[in-house]
Amino acid sequence: MRGEGRKHWDRRKYRSKRPNQKITAHPPPEKRIVPTRDVKKLLHGIGTPPPAPFKPDPFQLEALAMLEYEDVLVTAPTGSGKTWIAREEIRRLLGAGKRAWYTSPLKALTNSKYQEFMDEFGPQNVGILTGDRKENSDAPLIVGTTEIYRNQLFDSLRTGREVNSDLVVLDEAHYLADEDRGHVWEEAIILTPPRIRLLLLSATIGNAGDFASWLEEVRGVRCGVITGPGKRPVPLRSALLLPDRRLLALIDETGRVNPQVTQIIHETSNA
Amino acid sequence: MPEMPPATLLSALEGYNLLPAIVFMPTRRRCDQAASEAALARPAASDTRREARREFMRSFVEQHPEVRSHRHWDTIIRGGVASHHAGHIPAWKLVIEKLMSAGLLDAIFATATVAAGVDFPARSVVLTGADARTASGWRPLSASELQQMTGRAGRRGRDNVGFVVAAPGLHQDPLRIAQLLKAPPDALVSQFRATYTTLLNLLDAFGTFGQVREIAERSFAHRDSVAQLTRLEKTRAEATQKIEQRLEESGYELSVSTVLGLERLIGARARLQEAKPQTRAEVFSRWLNEVVKPGRVVGVGRSGRRLVMVTEKRDGNVRGVREDGSSASFPQERIGRVYAPVYRLRERDIEQAFEEIHERSRELTLPEPRLRDVHAEETDALKILDDSIDNLLPPHIAGPDRQRCTELLWELHETAEDYERASRRIDALREEVWLPFEQRARVLSVFGYLDYEAEKVTERGRWLADLHVDRPLLVGEALENGLFNTLDLKQLAGIMAALTADEDRDYGELELDDAIVTSLSRFEDIGFKVSAEEWKYGVEPTPELNFSAAGAAVLWADGAAWSEIVRQTRAEEGDLFRMFSRTGEALLQVAGLHRTHPQAAQMAAKAAEVVLREPIR
Repeated sequence: MRGEGRKHWDRRKYRSKRPNQKITAHPPPEKRIVPTRDVKKLLHGIGTPPPAPFKPDPFQLEALAMLEYEDVLVTAPTGSGKTWIAREEIRRLLGAGKRAWYTSPLKALTNSKYQEFMDEFGPQNVGILTGDRKENSDAPLIVGTTEIYRNQLFDSLRTGREVNSDLVVLDEAHYLADEDRGHVWEEAIILTPPRIRLLLLSATIGNAGDFASWLEEVRGVRCGVITGPGKRPVPLRSALLLPDRRLLALIDETGRVNPQVTQIIHETSNA
Repeated sequence: MPEMPPATLLSALEGYNLLPAIVFMPTRRRCDQAASEAALARPAASDTRREARREFMRSFVEQHPEVRSHRHWDTIIRGGVASHHAGHIPAWKLVIEKLMSAGLLDAIFATATVAAGVDFPARSVVLTGADARTASGWRPLSASELQQMTGRAGRRGRDNVGFVVAAPGLHQDPLRIAQLLKAPPDALVSQFRATYTTLLNLLDAFGTFGQVREIAERSFAHRDSVAQLTRLEKTRAEATQKIEQRLEESGYELSVSTVLGLERLIGARARLQEAKPQTRAEVFSRWLNEVVKPGRVVGVGRSGRRLVMVTEKRDGNVRGVREDGSSASFPQERIGRVYAPVYRLRERDIEQAFEEIHERSRELTLPEPRLRDVHAEETDALKILDDSIDNLLPPHIAGPDRQRCTELLWELHETAEDYERASRRIDALREEVWLPFEQRARVLSVFGYLDYEAEKVTERGRWLADLHVDRPLLVGEALENGLFNTLDLKQLAGIMAALTADEDRDYGELELDDAIVTSLSRFEDIGFKVSAEEWKYGVEPTPELNFSAAGAAVLWADGAAWSEIVRQTRAEEGDLFRMFSRTGEALLQVAGLHRTHPQAAQMAAKAAEVVLREPIR
């Protein structure tokens, strides 16, 4: 990654050079920076939007529609509303007297989802299962760690008692690539009976199509792929802050690295 | 580019209206320092904001009293900044997350590990470097890691735009960050592997190794292998068919195995020819590879007169000690003579070794191999192969028929080669998927949890399948040996902590009493027995027991106060929390074995209750 010929900004280079006039140590904080036109452009629109009623994104609605007929893999960045899809599907199922399992990789996440779902669906409808917590385990909606869900599948295979659920949500499904625990996700996917609908919520991954076609092969159930919203829910801009407190755009709106940045890095490393 | 002082950084960001921000720092310690420094150096917040924070945190304390004594309490109230990383207890992290989403904090200093998991967005995400810190040094951030971090930039409904800001830092590289920002996300890579628990459960559920193998072959990792297997099996079937057809046409009573036998013999002959050493130097160098090893004395140089005791050999290089005690390092090929005895590498023994070599140099010198001898061996082997090839055809086929049959066999040689190649690939692929399971099956079989021949999980194996702990076989053996029946609550907690704690994390060096040391070493002995079998069957080594964790857990199980544990171990609260929490979970697993091991289960249940007391929950 550390490309040849690319200048790496590190201590060694700075130590051996005389102080550069352009980028010096920290100027006194009281010195005010007058925003240039470039900075104004970079920061344009910063701030809080006026309050607006919640409106689901098309990708969320599309995922919900797909779930009626098939498994769904949603890959989208954090905060873009993957959980909303799961919550709405769970609401629909509970309303129809059906049951769901919601798995997450971390105990902290499990606990906060438990709270969230109890507020949403009423405490009597939600149970929790983790390595050290077992409450209301007969509830129609169970929140738990992926390990516990996988263990239930093992039990069900050995005893012949079916896992009593109509939907399994695997939150943070990209944990499948976790070195220590990833195998648990794969086992959960392979062993979940095809009659149970799977909803996988994952961070953005490079091989969503490939992953989904494996899911189809292994489960014999069609699997739709929703690759998040085309854009992030809140657009992202990138900037470089210099030691003299100047702020520069890092990547400009055309997607290229700001030539000013390249020039400054070049100058510093040649100084 | 040195890091900016945190207060300067925040004031610069504030000047551009870029707060609140999550500032990613390389280490936990840097996060804590930055938060404290920033809180001291920042201009004081308005009274109302301070009051709002105090109010918020006080209400939180009602549910989580353990946060009140936190050393960063004032940092937050005065400075509006906090540090957030795995060294803090969950309740503390929760209060920070809630303060942040209530808009009461200006900045959080966090490590990259925090980026995964809990959701607490800010307007800006600040990166102080393009590298991630690991236990073994620095490595470049991956595109996915960066994406997890930038995913926190921009609060839905509260920000029109989110920002990722590259700020000065020792490991900063803005161009690399730009490149990563544009990079496509990393592909999901399977980490499927064999475990005792999976094997026992699947075998018990499905009943045969074949079916367990089938499940393993369905994993994402082996998905390509399965497609490949299908193709190879087709190739093999086609080859067989072609051979059968041709043999039938010929009218001779020859079997497919004769054709394949020829292929194998020819293959073996070719390999033998290829491996045959051609020069004396080649023979000598191979011989050196075999005989030079630590503990042997060698003579260096053509005459072989300068003696060196070999202490280490690696990649064709040899290290050793000369007679005068100085160390020597040279390529193996410079060795001219090797002496037979293998000595122990102790100073005293080395001196004696040199003396002995001087006295009996001639008789102790290992005889060098001669090219002629080596060739004679190989020639014999080749002759045997040639004879076998000649005798492949049954003796009753004679005269011109024999000649025609030989021609036929050679004609089919290429097809036979296809068959063999496909077979070898099939075996290799099958092996790749199945071997780790088979190795574990053999180990479990040694200890009686599985009957390898019958492909069955035994009675013992059934409860082991239900025991979801880090090293089930070790715990299972400890239970079977009755070790757990002799332990009290504290000792049991200590042992389970030693087992579940991260191998190299330090939880202080608390003194352990004799009873606990004895039980830990008995546990360790059982561990050695298990590891020895695992090693024998090629199962990778397991982490070692963490005695320092045992000390902390014994003290905790003895009822010590949380603050006392933190003070005495000097470990970070978050690490202690996780370790105790996992210890408690492991104890609960043992407690679940009340049918097969009632005594141990009962003690484990009691220990779990004590370990999982507030704030561990």
